[in-house]
Amino acid sequence: MLSRQFFRSIHTNHILCYTSKKTLLSKLRKKTGYTFINCKKALELNENDVEKAEQWLKEQAQAQGWSQAMKLKSRETSQGLIAMITNSNHGALVEINCETDFVARNKKFHDLAQIILDTVLKHSMTIQQDSLVKKTVLSTELINNLHANDGKNLSDHSALTIGLIGENISIRRALCMSVQPGAYLYGCTHPTPVNPVPSSFGRYGALIALKSDEDKKVLGMQLCQHIIGMNPIKVGDPKVDLPNDNIEEEPIMLYQEFLFNPASSIQELLQSEQAEVLDFIRFEMGETLENRQELNSVETCG
Amino acid sequence: MARGGMAQSYGQLRAGSYFSDLITQRFYSTKKTFNRDKPHCNVGTIGHVDHGKTTLTAAITKVLSELELAKAKQYAEIDNAPEEKARGITINVAHVEYQTNNRHYGHTDCPGHADYIKNMITGTSQMDGAILVVAATDGSMPQTREHLLLAKQIGISHIVIFINKVDVADDEMIDLVEMEMRELLTQMGYDGENIPIVKGSALCALDGTKPEIGRDAILKLLEAVDSYIPTPIRELDKPFCLPIENVYSVMGRGTVVSGRLERGKIKKGMECELIGYNKLIKTTITGIEMFHKTLEEAEAGDQMGALLRGLKREDIRRGMIMCKPGSMKAYDHLECQIYMLTTEEGGRIRPINHMMNGQMFSKTNGEDVLRRFNESIGFFVFSIVLKLIRPMVCEKGQRFTIRDSFKTIATGVVANTLPSLSETERLELIEGKKKLKKRLAQA
Repeated sequence: MLSRQFFRSIHTNHILCYTSKKTLLSKLRKKTGYTFINCKKALELNENDVEKAEQWLKEQAQAQGWSQAMKLKSRETSQGLIAMITNSNHGALVEINCETDFVARNKKFHDLAQIILDTVLKHSMTIQQDSLVKKTVLSTELINNLHANDGKNLSDHSALTIGLIGENISIRRALCMSVQPGAYLYGCTHPTPVNPVPSSFGRYGALIALKSDEDKKVLGMQLCQHIIGMNPIKVGDPKVDLPNDNIEEEPIMLYQEFLFNPASSIQELLQSEQAEVLDFIRFEMGETLENRQELNSVETCG
Repeated sequence: MARGGMAQSYGQLRAGSYFSDLITQRFYSTKKTFNRDKPHCNVGTIGHVDHGKTTLTAAITKVLSELELAKAKQYAEIDNAPEEKARGITINVAHVEYQTNNRHYGHTDCPGHADYIKNMITGTSQMDGAILVVAATDGSMPQTREHLLLAKQIGISHIVIFINKVDVADDEMIDLVEMEMRELLTQMGYDGENIPIVKGSALCALDGTKPEIGRDAILKLLEAVDSYIPTPIRELDKPFCLPIENVYSVMGRGTVVSGRLERGKIKKGMECELIGYNKLIKTTITGIEMFHKTLEEAEAGDQMGALLRGLKREDIRRGMIMCKPGSMKAYDHLECQIYMLTTEEGGRIRPINHMMNGQMFSKTNGEDVLRRFNESIGFFVFSIVLKLIRPMVCEKGQRFTIRDSFKTIATGVVANTLPSLSETERLELIEGKKKLKKRLAQA
């Protein structure tokens, strides 16, 4: 009997279900986006009162997220994105990982990235400035305990997103960079088109601090792309460092060919532009994955 | 090339049977021969990580193995697909094969967006249709949208939905998931109302419990896949195309072009067109030869020579294409998806930038090409715009390789053909190259 009923439901004309009246469950699901099984539980507990159920779901979301996060904790996160934000004097780069790149492209994941960026940037503004350019690496623990604008800490936020998306998410690393007047900060990510928005997401990200008399936005952006593309290990000092024999393998930024004009080196470019590279930082998605074991023991997923 | 690659991976994965080349059929082997009496179709599973894609694949092989149509695979066998090194590029894909009463299937699990595109470009996997797996307990996930976007992007127009885990959900939920999926699919531009949706539990099928939602549901799903996903057109049925490898002039007979007939059939007396290197020549095939013997008709896969009417040897050269009149065209402006080889695979250390110069190789053709990117630098998988100095015969889905003077740097697939370059644009291309050289000389 049961089986017959089941098969009938397969054969039923689809149009019928399609237009069938919206039930409380579908209403709640539509409104909140939580999984069907949770929506159902919420309705059962609140005697089919949609508003109360919604309230309950929201209260439960945090706990649900955490339990989901605990469950998925051991799963490897090898995809994700690098997020970058700059305002006039402060900038931040963050790597956030998830399990599949489908999620990395999702709006919900980007929302989380935006919250994390804003929070890290806010934190970087509180760091004491003692030099023209200051670079601070944040420990995972510190990042997770930072409080976002709504008062929740970042691990709560990522747990919420884990509950929603159902994939493990980890904030792998974050770095802030601040400059004092006289220096300028630029950042970009790849592969997103270079645009003047303050924050962007991609597989690669770079921040650069330039010392110059005036704001050189185009140069700064191009240098960032150069860093992403040519992957220099350091700026280099012409007095100390010697250029590599093979220009193709040159690891020092000053001696590298400029990505946008291979005819000139970075050194020549900076001279003609009267600018100086104070410092830079480059993040590549997944580049720290090699030391997986170490990360697993450090990370508390969230 | 794609088929060859597949055959290779099948051969490696399936000891005991050999997936002979779809086209040539000339490979003799002591292994079990591949039976070709059923049409072949490639399907793949897409969906959230926890919704049971692998379980479903395992369940399909188990259910079909009971009917002696497949070899049962364990969950772990599918989940831990070995990394393969095919043609120097590392790929990671689980190939499973099975057949229904109507068709033979190659089944892949879609790994991730970028990974799938990479596999597609390198020709290691392709999908003619997809099975979207969604758990009845969760419904669609936020990222289901991204899954469907990928399917759209790679041109999958037929999707079958499997609502999994109905053993732990109730009827109301299942109906709502179905409704929701239909709505989402319609939103994404699919025929949401008519897409077949099958409900069942892959786990029950795998455990052999509750046959009504286990085994029977799997059979139902396969029936839906059989009927809803159309069989791809065979190479043999397409308009003919022969990339020219050599041109000979035979005393007393005329000019002969030789090469492997890529698709279609050629009969003596057929009209044909020769395209490439800014030329378009119309003529008639007056004779077909294979192994120094004349024959009436050649089929896709044949290494053959064709005698052409009224042509001189100088008129034709290697790299041109002989095809059915009007079926192909030469383009000099293309939108492509490319995969850049990593340094370990022998690719470049540095990124490629706009205005870079390279050679594009496709079929038997090698062409100079100037590339201009919509992104200024590129890594891994991305789309670029190629501008060719001379038009080259191309079509959507054609694969190619890009080399700079020393090494292969990228492999790609034509995503779209763009309107031809104007004369000034072409001049600009060459001009730009000269200018760049001048600048380099000055420096």
